[in-house]
Amino acid sequence: MRIFFAILTAGLASSFVMGTPVLANKGLEIATEVIQRDEGWGDTSSKMTMILKDKYGQSTQRSLRNKSLEGSMEGDKSLVIFDTPGDVRGTAFLSHTKKTGSDDQWLYLPALKRVKRIASSNKAGPFMGSEFSFEDIASQEIEKYTYKYLSDEKYNGVDCFVVEYDPVDRKSGYSIQKTWIDQSKYIVLKTEYYDRKKSLLKTLTFDGYKKYDGKFWRADTFLMINHQTGKETELRYENWVFGTGLSEKDFNKSTLKKVK
Amino acid sequence: MKIIFGVLVFIGVMLAQLVVADGNFNTKLIAEFRSYPNSNPGTIDSGQSLELNIDAYKDFGTARGVIELVARIDDQDSGRRILDARQAYIGGEIGGFEIYVGNRQEFWGKAESTNIVDVVNQRDGAADQGGAGKLGAPSLSVERYTEYGDLQVWYMPNFQELTFNDSNAHPSGGLPIKPARYQRSEGKNADDLAFRFSSVVDDWDLAGSLFYGTVRNPILSVVDIGTALEPYYPKQKSLGLEAQYTGDATLLKWESLHGSQDNKNFFAAVAGLEYTLYGLLDQVWDLGLLVEAQHDERPQAAAKRIYVAGLRLTLNDAKDTSLLFLTSQDEDWDQSLISFEASRRLNSWSSIDVGAKFFDAKTPTSAFGSLDDDDTISIKLNMFF
Repeated sequence: MRIFFAILTAGLASSFVMGTPVLANKGLEIATEVIQRDEGWGDTSSKMTMILKDKYGQSTQRSLRNKSLEGSMEGDKSLVIFDTPGDVRGTAFLSHTKKTGSDDQWLYLPALKRVKRIASSNKAGPFMGSEFSFEDIASQEIEKYTYKYLSDEKYNGVDCFVVEYDPVDRKSGYSIQKTWIDQSKYIVLKTEYYDRKKSLLKTLTFDGYKKYDGKFWRADTFLMINHQTGKETELRYENWVFGTGLSEKDFNKSTLKKVK
Repeated sequence: MKIIFGVLVFIGVMLAQLVVADGNFNTKLIAEFRSYPNSNPGTIDSGQSLELNIDAYKDFGTARGVIELVARIDDQDSGRRILDARQAYIGGEIGGFEIYVGNRQEFWGKAESTNIVDVVNQRDGAADQGGAGKLGAPSLSVERYTEYGDLQVWYMPNFQELTFNDSNAHPSGGLPIKPARYQRSEGKNADDLAFRFSSVVDDWDLAGSLFYGTVRNPILSVVDIGTALEPYYPKQKSLGLEAQYTGDATLLKWESLHGSQDNKNFFAAVAGLEYTLYGLLDQVWDLGLLVEAQHDERPQAAAKRIYVAGLRLTLNDAKDTSLLFLTSQDEDWDQSLISFEASRRLNSWSSIDVGAKFFDAKTPTSAFGSLDDDDTISIKLNMFF
């Protein structure tokens, strides 16, 4: 946390020094508020159904389970276990998010009982053949972007801040992300992803937000539409549970092989 | 041995019954068709097999019982017929130590073309020459996870022999296999011990291991005036080292084994480089380039030095289509092996694998020379229930 504030303060200070308008920091303030309001979630588990649709409307489904652990000094840790389709059943994906630099990622292949460290520069690559890339599903750390407040705008009748997120990592598949943030709840309702050529690539919308433990907002439907290919992927979450008692040990490379 | 097997079957049946009620029960059926385009007269030119995999688990408080059974029937090759408990164990945590009793499978190693440090399990050599298919290791194992890394200790009281294909099946040396000989006087009942410590240090995954026991891969010699093959299992004492550096798109891999086998010192190592081109041709395709060099001074090795190069194409599509092409060449440009594997999901409950292997050698008496009629083309249909 201390590091986080140090970076924040440094960011503010440098913008004053450089004479950047104060407005340039409003984006960072909003993004920080989004993350701060969600702090303290500890650990969660949930079930997810992923529905992939091609441009002809043909759909395939996969089901998986998510477990996450909130990081304090480091980034969050997450574990994804696949239940269907049958050929990937038991496959598990472990990610240790880093606030700066590439995340650490391991894959467990149940047929071989093998845990494989995988290169994580493939941020822009698709996750499980879906329209979500690895960077879309990775945990959002404040250090991963620079921010620019753009405007106030209504989205679906809700007053929103529109903030531009510029990925720091040059391996990101995006030039910018435009994000619509609910002004009262500080939750993201929509994100537009622009490719490296600055044309609109994908739109992600969040639906069915519910409040858990009196504090943490979670959406139950994520819809990602790829405007360039006509494909879309919907994530449907259920069984959000907070404070399940998960610990560091459950997100260890070696315990990955025990995941069922 | 009989008692252990009896106990395992009992645990298995008990678990299966308990588990069915919970739904933690999965079944996989694999139908495989193989063709041998280069088969010698008197050997089979095709084969079919059906394999049933059942896996299930059940939690008893903090303890967990796991069972994975494999049953395979084959129309031609008795070597491929098998009934094995790949895994049948009970594990739980006592005072910060994870303790497992029963048949277990474990993978050690980093490389792609071969894993010389992967010493825990015997391979199901008849069914899977590449070595991915393994037999369960009857064992007592203890693991401890610390902030510095993870420690494993394995005690394996019952040795399992490598499985071989029939002499008229493929791949085979074309001769019947005699009962095995062992260097250690206790033979199959000699105890094996293994330790491993593994750790992650930034971009490096590191491990060191020790093994004392009977080698998994036997030395084969032609005996009885050239009419039979005799497997000989010597004793091995070795130190294994593993390292993988994970860069942005580059992986560097290392496995080495230092030690003695049959009272003779040896050194074996695999060094590899993998580089992935992401988003090939403006698609979401990934192309992995793979180069590995194998060095092995033991007589079991096909050659002292083998160089492997390969391409792995991953389409990242909804069907998870992937292709792997590998070519292996010994240092004298005598023996070579070309292999191809492709896999694709058909629907939510099935997938298909297509594979091909072609051996070639200038010297007929070399390892690959004796496999020159064992070229294989295979199609596997995997069904999940």
